[in-house]
Amino acid sequence: MSVEERLALTKFEVHSEPHIILRTEKCKTCSFKICVSSCPAGLYTLNESGEIQFTYEGCLECGTCRIVCPENAIEWNYPPGGFGVQYKFG
Amino acid sequence: MSEKYDVVVVGGGPAGLSVAYFLADKGYTVVVLERGLEPGSKNVFGGRVYSYPLDKYFPGWRRDAPIERWVRREMLSILCRENMASIGYQLSRKPDGHDSFTVFLSRLLKWMASKVEEKNVLLASNVRVDEMLFRDGVACGVRAGEDKIEAEYVVIAEGANTLLLEKHGLRGRPSPRDIAVGVKEVVRVGREKINERFGLGDEEGLAQFLISPVFGGGFIYTMKEYVSVGVVYRLSFNNHVEGKDVIEELRMHPEISKLLEGGVPVEYSAHIIREGGYKDLMSKPYGKGYVVVGDAAGLILNTGFTVRGVDLAIESGRLAAEAITKTSPGEELSIYMDLLRRSGIIDALKKFKNVPKILSNQRIYVEYPDLICKLLDNIYSVDEFPETLNESLKKAVKGKTSIIRLLLDLLMTVRSL
Repeated sequence: MSVEERLALTKFEVHSEPHIILRTEKCKTCSFKICVSSCPAGLYTLNESGEIQFTYEGCLECGTCRIVCPENAIEWNYPPGGFGVQYKFG
Repeated sequence: MSEKYDVVVVGGGPAGLSVAYFLADKGYTVVVLERGLEPGSKNVFGGRVYSYPLDKYFPGWRRDAPIERWVRREMLSILCRENMASIGYQLSRKPDGHDSFTVFLSRLLKWMASKVEEKNVLLASNVRVDEMLFRDGVACGVRAGEDKIEAEYVVIAEGANTLLLEKHGLRGRPSPRDIAVGVKEVVRVGREKINERFGLGDEEGLAQFLISPVFGGGFIYTMKEYVSVGVVYRLSFNNHVEGKDVIEELRMHPEISKLLEGGVPVEYSAHIIREGGYKDLMSKPYGKGYVVVGDAAGLILNTGFTVRGVDLAIESGRLAAEAITKTSPGEELSIYMDLLRRSGIIDALKKFKNVPKILSNQRIYVEYPDLICKLLDNIYSVDEFPETLNESLKKAVKGKTSIIRLLLDLLMTVRSL
């Protein structure tokens, strides 16, 4: 089962605005890109030219990327009240 | 929402709800602000809660709370490549008062919220708090979007991600070295299959710790109809499996897939875990007009064998409530720290202060489990040339690790746990 299929199990109230903003100019000089391997939702990916791409829709709001980013390139906030992931089991 | 309250609580998790629960009894007007659709919507944990604080403060909870199963089987397992090495402990006698139970945190919190609402606490969901408000250096409320909520006391129960505290410079951002990520999947397996596969009675539950040379740590908790399986990986390790694939990796293990066969996954979740222990505890989890409780304050105790969060959250909530009743508005809530000390929580954290160091040693997860697997493999693969334990051990260690380093790690581990 892929992570996309797993994320489809979890309930999200997606807000129209992203709650995490990536300052990609900082990512360009980053050689670690630990966000890609550590995000449990797999939301950080590398495109063909090796640039970081990010989608916020399946964000589990775990906080991993915020902690792990060595470049301080991630502006991290929670989605507005009532939005984002909504766990039934937790 | 422009009324003034005695107390505003940021976060409807176990710590925040318990502050409200205890303060409402003392006649304070309390509002709890929760950013999820309802309390529990944003919370993630493994699957077990220790009973003692509920016994003390929530009369009738054993009949009333959404308990899944009582933990009667504790297991510690190493996942070898294809095999599994385990130590189990079965509790056939009901341990009076010192037991634990499996539960879904979202459901437990909904139940706690109902107890809090019975006491006329206002629970406002869908509210994200953006900042604390201060007047002359005294916390006097919070701002959520356009709304300002004023209060005599502010309780920060924002959980492991301490956005508010960091914003106001009250806590630094944790280092990746002190953080692990817990990823979990809940799988519907069915009551009878769970009882059969795990060797459990109807009400009996299993709590299993996993150590894996491939992905680090993990856990299994059995619920009534569901099984929660999870992986805990350290951010400072050289991880072989990407975070998004760890659950799949765990589920592919032959011994795990047998247990979950035919099961239907129903939820995927993740959260950071503060693993710093005593050194992560805020030295000053209070100030003028505010206190910090639960995970946000660093109140998580990992002894190496047991991980405690919810019980400490409830206890710290109770102590914060007591501190508020004993402190005039505008004063430093330093009594809270005294109460934490007197409760024994601080001593407990101090006692296990070296555990994080052990658990952040990658050899504990990779080299030694691997060694144990090889050793057991040598011992139990029988042919016409039997080996002594000493021979098997030498063979397992060969080229893998130095005996001296192994002994040093062992010594440090024994002294810390």
